[in-house]
Amino acid sequence: MNKASKASYTDSAARGFRRVRGHVDPRAAKALIAVGSLGAAASTFLAWTWTAAFPGDLAVYGYPGGNQLITLIVSILTLFALGSAVGASGLTGTRWLVPRGRVRLLRGLALANAASTWYVLIAIAWELGGLANLVAGAWVAGLTVLLPVVGAYLLPKDVRAPAPPRPAPRPVQVGVIFLVVLLGLLVADFGISTGYAEEFIGFCLAAGFAGRGLAVSGVFERFSALTARNRAATGCACLVAAVLFAFLQTSDAYTTVADNILIFATVALGLNIVVGLAGLLDVGYVAFLGVGAYTAALVSGTAASRFSGVVLPFWAQAVIGVLVAVVAGLIIGAPTLRLRGDYLAIVTLGFGEIFRITMNNLDGQSGPQITNGPEGIYGIPDLRIFGYDFGQTHTILGHAFGRFANYYLLLIAVTALVVFIFSRVNESRIGRAWAAIREDETAAEAMGVHGYRFKLLAFGLGAGLAGLAGTIQGHLTSTVTPDQYTFSASAPPNSAFLLAAVVLGGMGTVSGPLLGAALLYLIPYKLQFFSDKQLLLFGLALVVMMRLRPEGLIADRRRKLELHAQQSLPAGEQREAVGTDLQEVEANA
Amino acid sequence: MFRRHVATLGALAGVCALAVTGCGSRAASVASSGSSGSGDTVVQIGVDSPLTGSLQAPGQGLRYSAQLAVNIANKEKEVPGVTFQLVAKDDEATASIGEQNATAFVADSGVVGVVGPMNSSVAQSEQSVFNAANMVEVSPATTNPSLSQGPNWKTAPSRPYKSFFRDITTDAVQGPFAADYVYKTLGIHTVATVDDGQTYGVGLVETFTQEFTRLGGKVTVAQTATPTTTDYTSVISAIRSSSAQLVYYGGSYPAGAPLTKQLKAGGLNIPEMGGDGNDDPTYIRTAGSAANGDYATLPGAALTSLSTAKTFISEYQAANFPVQYGIYGGTTYDATWSLILAVKTALSADGGKMPSADTFRSQVEGAEQNVSFNGVTGPVSFDKYGDTGDRVITMYKIQNGSWGDGVYSAAFAG
Amino acid sequence: MSVTILLQLVENGLVLGAMYGLIAVGYTMVYGVIQLINFAHGEIFMLGGFGALTVYAWIPGVAHLPLLAALPLMLIGGVAVSVVVAVGAERLAYRPLRTAPRLAPLITAIGLSLALQQVVSLWYRLPGGVNAKGPVSFPSFSGKAFNLGGVLVQPADIFTLAAAAVCMAGLTWFVERTRGGRAIQATAQDPDTARLMGIDTDRMIVLSFAIGAALAAVAAITQGLRYGQISFDMGFVAGLKAFTAAVLGGIGNVRGSMLGGIVLGLVEELSSGVLAHFHTTAQYGQAWADVWAFVLLILVLLVRPQGLLGERVADRA
Repeated sequence: MNKASKASYTDSAARGFRRVRGHVDPRAAKALIAVGSLGAAASTFLAWTWTAAFPGDLAVYGYPGGNQLITLIVSILTLFALGSAVGASGLTGTRWLVPRGRVRLLRGLALANAASTWYVLIAIAWELGGLANLVAGAWVAGLTVLLPVVGAYLLPKDVRAPAPPRPAPRPVQVGVIFLVVLLGLLVADFGISTGYAEEFIGFCLAAGFAGRGLAVSGVFERFSALTARNRAATGCACLVAAVLFAFLQTSDAYTTVADNILIFATVALGLNIVVGLAGLLDVGYVAFLGVGAYTAALVSGTAASRFSGVVLPFWAQAVIGVLVAVVAGLIIGAPTLRLRGDYLAIVTLGFGEIFRITMNNLDGQSGPQITNGPEGIYGIPDLRIFGYDFGQTHTILGHAFGRFANYYLLLIAVTALVVFIFSRVNESRIGRAWAAIREDETAAEAMGVHGYRFKLLAFGLGAGLAGLAGTIQGHLTSTVTPDQYTFSASAPPNSAFLLAAVVLGGMGTVSGPLLGAALLYLIPYKLQFFSDKQLLLFGLALVVMMRLRPEGLIADRRRKLELHAQQSLPAGEQREAVGTDLQEVEANA
Repeated sequence: MFRRHVATLGALAGVCALAVTGCGSRAASVASSGSSGSGDTVVQIGVDSPLTGSLQAPGQGLRYSAQLAVNIANKEKEVPGVTFQLVAKDDEATASIGEQNATAFVADSGVVGVVGPMNSSVAQSEQSVFNAANMVEVSPATTNPSLSQGPNWKTAPSRPYKSFFRDITTDAVQGPFAADYVYKTLGIHTVATVDDGQTYGVGLVETFTQEFTRLGGKVTVAQTATPTTTDYTSVISAIRSSSAQLVYYGGSYPAGAPLTKQLKAGGLNIPEMGGDGNDDPTYIRTAGSAANGDYATLPGAALTSLSTAKTFISEYQAANFPVQYGIYGGTTYDATWSLILAVKTALSADGGKMPSADTFRSQVEGAEQNVSFNGVTGPVSFDKYGDTGDRVITMYKIQNGSWGDGVYSAAFAG
Repeated sequence: MSVTILLQLVENGLVLGAMYGLIAVGYTMVYGVIQLINFAHGEIFMLGGFGALTVYAWIPGVAHLPLLAALPLMLIGGVAVSVVVAVGAERLAYRPLRTAPRLAPLITAIGLSLALQQVVSLWYRLPGGVNAKGPVSFPSFSGKAFNLGGVLVQPADIFTLAAAAVCMAGLTWFVERTRGGRAIQATAQDPDTARLMGIDTDRMIVLSFAIGAALAAVAAITQGLRYGQISFDMGFVAGLKAFTAAVLGGIGNVRGSMLGGIVLGLVEELSSGVLAHFHTTAQYGQAWADVWAFVLLILVLLVRPQGLLGERVADRA
């Protein structure tokens, strides 16, 4: 379609809508939202269908269950948001929380509720074969969730300038951070432990729209400003929440999922140092994970290892694993990093492939017997740190920690370490050197930045972190085989998925790869029908993201400026972004 | 002002959290008390196999063959008062996903045992999880000997996991069977071997070579060729310079068929022999006339020769499953049936009343060891390693562009 | 080991190298004009094979023709599919990113490569519903091999060498003697000046993609004829090798890519063949061929990063 005609079409539609909006009393619109949300909340206590055949059993009166819970929670949240918007300018104090206005938030929440609820209703009718399967409660829900959407879009748009941040006492700030992070934990736990595809899709729809509402209304912005001022508290809050997750689990079923997500996310974070910070494209990254896993497995004392007599404690395994991975990284990086940047991509791709082939060949027939070839090194014993046997169930504070919960706690520590290294390095002289090289290597060299040395440092550091994750991964899966470390496969971690997690999540950020890895892992895990087409969709997603939003879901501000260099940002945003950079510089000085 | 609002928001959030957790328990209680309409106890059997990706065809066949066994057990009321239910999970042929599925099965108190997996590496990561929960895992497809006889299976076999069973003959039997046939029946004493560098292929060639040299034969060339390139030119020139009269191939038909084709194009008119991985109609389609005279072994008696197997095939066809039962159909059906019988034994020992999930699982594990019945692939029982007691293997030969019904079938002691 | 076997290995290496060279042309030309490693080129190669197979299997009557008569039709089909996809990718995915940071088009190329593989694996069907999730059969010559003093030369080998020779001769003539070819060279040397001289550089870029794709399709057909099968993932390793060949010969250098391909093919065959003969049982043979190719790439980057014949690329940064 012609761009100009499209713009004029949307313009006229918006103008028409604005005209209607002008005639509606905001109070009426708010009443509409209130009635709709209350109605939707009430409908979840009714049955939505007549049979228990639909997953989650929505045929029960009096107790919301399954997808009804999502509707109930979002309805309550909408009421909260509305409550803070009572009166002409909303309750004082709460404006601080929603700097860009509550109407955007209300719209986001209303859409979240409508999308998630309508999805379930359609799913019921579709799976059970006909609209007849929807009983009264479903019709109530379907109609009432629409009212807040209408109401929210009839409310006048927020036009006020963002409210200035108000300094709150430090304890309050810390309290808010803890509260928000714990709420985030509950949301994440709900997502991970959704029992069936419908619930997960409903959750994703609700979380997606609500998240968008929170983002455009400036809540996230405000929150990240808060966390920026309270680094230590935020770190603590995240750690506490992560540990609490283990306490919320009653069995190992979802802890295993969380373990795998953490391994994937940690490695993605390591890759983000290489790709996001230093701007080096490594497409064989999973090989370094493999190097770590193989090294640890060889000295773990399993009977299947060539060196089964050598049994090293875990710290020694980790050190050796990291060292070998770093050496491998330097061997690959040293000759390549001096040359054109894009040669690195192909050399790492080759290395990823060669690593797998070599591990396959060191089987005593095609080469010396070191790795058992395709059979892999199996029966890797569980970790034991300070006498704490990871294979046994331990009871801590009245909660039983099974094998996978033990590994979960260890992985949380490793992830925290990687996050720490990532953010410290990024803010140091090294991080600024990387940014300079990434943007213009020639200019950086002219300013005295030793490009090659810094690139090699990034490459080695990335390799080492992946190696560290590998040493744990070997023990967790208790077997290490060459086919776990390929360029692309239907299950993470593999090099293609890792790259996708970094690119989709947001290059150069901490939370981006974490979110990206969690999504990339959970989507195929929860939606089995999808796993056939995931590689196709991730491939297309890479193409589309590069075209439309190269900075990823969670944008790094500096990165965003680089990536959109050719399309000038709106003046205000640009000034703001430059402003933050200046602040950063000042803070560092 | 501000503080008050934060406090209210916080309190309300807390209420929501309580609501979530409170309601969550409702859903759980409904699920665990789930029972079929007839008032039977529901016993779940897990299936773990690749349902997506490049191995999905045999993986799906495995799943539906298990489904058939469950359907028949329910229809014929094999275990009175019990309705079986199948829970299928996709392991994507990946070790970490398999392990994750294993923990999910263990955490689900309704599941008593699992049929699967298909890949040896997946089995390696699942074994310890199932073993810790005393939960039976019967694999109808993994042929790596170390899974049941430990890493030193050649010299000092010992069973590492008492919960792991399999009703398919290991490579340790298929390879020697072929060696025996080549040396004694065909009278060929010099061969070349080629493997694809994968677990299955390497194991097959290794055990073949051992038996063949023990008999007095000579392996003149042993080559490994990655299956992705299917370029055998250097392998074939090595074979040409030797005096091999047969090529024993360890691998699967996608790479095995080009090998025989290039062999014959390279002027070597010697047959290729493979394991069950080569035994596929596509082998003949790809290699064309070059495939004539080639051999392949398949564990179990020829499916078409047993009456039990004929029933299985016709029942499977009648059930209208979306995919073919594939190469592991028969063994999967038997594996599932062995679990059903183990449940039956355990339940009758309990006087028909189900004990707690943990107790029942270990009872089923004990019963599985002593299962013995006449299955689709012949008699089914397990030896002290959890390996199949049935070691019948059939040799097939391609004649006139078809695998035919097998030229030789025998039990092999090893 | 005898001279015959050595000669046989050289023959194998030449044929393999000719195929690598044909694919490498695509990398080298695209890199020459826009300094992009087109990761998806391996998939363009793979699609050429499937295009040819589609003509053979789906157009009634083609399968009944003698293979030599069907080949021209298959070539047209394969080349058409490859060129259309390559040009489409350039227009829709790469061109909008021409001024973006370097990482963006590279990641796009990787995404495209994944997606194209999956499209074939998910939806390609042969008559009778056979899918392409695994390797699919490709027609091959039925004739006997020619015996030249003990060295066997397959009919498909002759076709490969002939196709490579014709393609390279045509390409050299085009690049060095025609206006279009010189325009491409000018674009590679200095795009801005070329534009000022009235050259439509966008068209030259499209042309480079198209030529590379066409030669890749020819290469895919030779691979199908030699091994009797093609598969959706065959572009991955072939692409990696061909890129190595392009760097070996000097990136941006069209003749260099063919030379690089042949050197790579010879190294691969001779290393694995000779090592396979050193020990008849425990060996470092064919299983290591990919590793030797990769080691060669690293060595070249260390010792002579500009390649054997020198690179011809304008430094964009």
